Amino acid sequence: MVDLCVQIGPLRLKNPVMTASGTFGYAEEFKDIVDLNEIGGIVTKTVTPNPRPGNPPRRIVELPGGMLNSIGLPNVGLENFIREKMPFLQTLRTEVVINVAGTTEDGFAECVSRLEDVDGISAYELNFSCPNVNHGTSYSTDPNIAERITAAVRRLTRRPLIAKLTPNVTSISEIGLAVQNGGADAVSAINTVVGMAVDIAARKPKLATITGGYSGPAVKPIALAKVYELARNLSIPVIAIGGIATAEDALEFMIAGATAFQVGTANFYQPDATIKIKKGLESYCKEHNISRVIELVGALP
Amino acid sequence: MSEKKLFQPRVAEVRKVAHDIYLLQFHQPFLSRNARAGQFIEIKTPFRPDILWRRPFSIHNVNPDDGDVEILFHAVGRGTKALAHLGPGDTIDILGPLGNGFHYDDELREAVLVAGGLGVAPFRLLQRELARRGVPMTMFYGVSDEDQFCGVDFFDAHVNLKLSTVDGSRGYKGVVTDLLVEYLDACDDLAHKAVYVCGPTPMLRRVQEIARQYPVPAQVSLETIMACGFGACVGCAVPMTHPQPGVKEYYLTCKDGPVFNIEEIVING
Repeated sequence: MVDLCVQIGPLRLKNPVMTASGTFGYAEEFKDIVDLNEIGGIVTKTVTPNPRPGNPPRRIVELPGGMLNSIGLPNVGLENFIREKMPFLQTLRTEVVINVAGTTEDGFAECVSRLEDVDGISAYELNFSCPNVNHGTSYSTDPNIAERITAAVRRLTRRPLIAKLTPNVTSISEIGLAVQNGGADAVSAINTVVGMAVDIAARKPKLATITGGYSGPAVKPIALAKVYELARNLSIPVIAIGGIATAEDALEFMIAGATAFQVGTANFYQPDATIKIKKGLESYCKEHNISRVIELVGALP
Repeated sequence: MSEKKLFQPRVAEVRKVAHDIYLLQFHQPFLSRNARAGQFIEIKTPFRPDILWRRPFSIHNVNPDDGDVEILFHAVGRGTKALAHLGPGDTIDILGPLGNGFHYDDELREAVLVAGGLGVAPFRLLQRELARRGVPMTMFYGVSDEDQFCGVDFFDAHVNLKLSTVDGSRGYKGVVTDLLVEYLDACDDLAHKAVYVCGPTPMLRRVQEIARQYPVPAQVSLETIMACGFGACVGCAVPMTHPQPGVKEYYLTCKDGPVFNIEEIVING
């Protein structure tokens, strides 16, 4: 029997498999396909204080090895989220992480403050890093703002706090250290890589918003380098995100220093990817006589 | 609405039925019993891990007695060309049934089906469902040239069928929406009639104008680029005709559709 438990600060996961925000809806979309309780942690699609319609189409482009998206955080808004989405999430027997964002600095605190009254929430993930909304970038690229927001939210909650970081900066460690100072219990990285595609027949950008976020297997090496860097420079745990589609991908990240990981784009084309990865991880540990999966974390020489 | 599942059936047959158009048949009893006309499945392209997304296909026909399911596709892109090369015994990875399907009720006295090109795909199953309810059907089926027709003999035997080709090689010479206008003009009473349409975007826009003008209720089966097919990626947004600005401005083709009342959506392009 392999012990798959991992500890993300105060948050204990029964296994290191999580879902990445914005790729798993509010979990209900996947209930016919996977046993949700087998997943270590479910991170919901970003909720903002007010409803957002999202960006105009075209929102997605398939590319070799990955995809571009510019969805724009459509969501029903905080109050409707609590009313419409939370009841299902509260029935789950796994850790539920609510991903929040604000269109202003105060928006993050506004979400968390209201969610403190709601049961069935294991942790918060602060979305500092969506490249597809106007203000997302400054939160994610300015260490002072990121630290200020984290500290403001920290004062409101004892629940674990995860800060999700963008790779679109000169030094991801600088932002990571800032949110660590602000009181984050963990960081998750990476969000999507800013990218673009052009329709040469129409001579127009393929995405309505011109640029978007690139994700999928192609970003894995970029993500690995960032996760490795964060794990070496931060004292808080790192949750890896970026092109994880198989157990082998996940193992690379854990060996490079990630304590847990999130499956993102793969959920779209292989909706049971999380379960397959969990099983693959278990098999790998058995084959290599690893009794506790945490032995792998940061196992690089 | 039946729950969606992942299946790995074996291909029974891939058969070329018209120019670049193929029919793929596989055995999947759950799907054949539960899929409704207008719903779709998502197929992961076999042997091509470089093709990331599944591809959406309308369910063309089902046979609940022997458990078979058929899709019809145009081999034009990377994914569909790879599908055309499959043979009996190959395994495909599918997800379905997805989407809402066509709507009809006991008030329906006549259905008018308008198909453009491969837009014929969902109508074989719709014909089956409406025939079971005893609803008379008229169908207008247009393509650019006669090599692209598929299933004409079947439809001719089961519905009042009128064909059109842009080049005049078979049936009326011109676009299929001309036939719809001519038909609606000849009707004394449009009560309890409904139009069902599937086809290329310019044709859908024209049917939207026609439906407003007469007026006659019309349902459209839309095709949109999608990464997942079940509401997770939120990529397949379609603008609403009556949005709540700043709150809700888009439908999702995969979940709210792919069938919409034609007046509810903005048809671009």
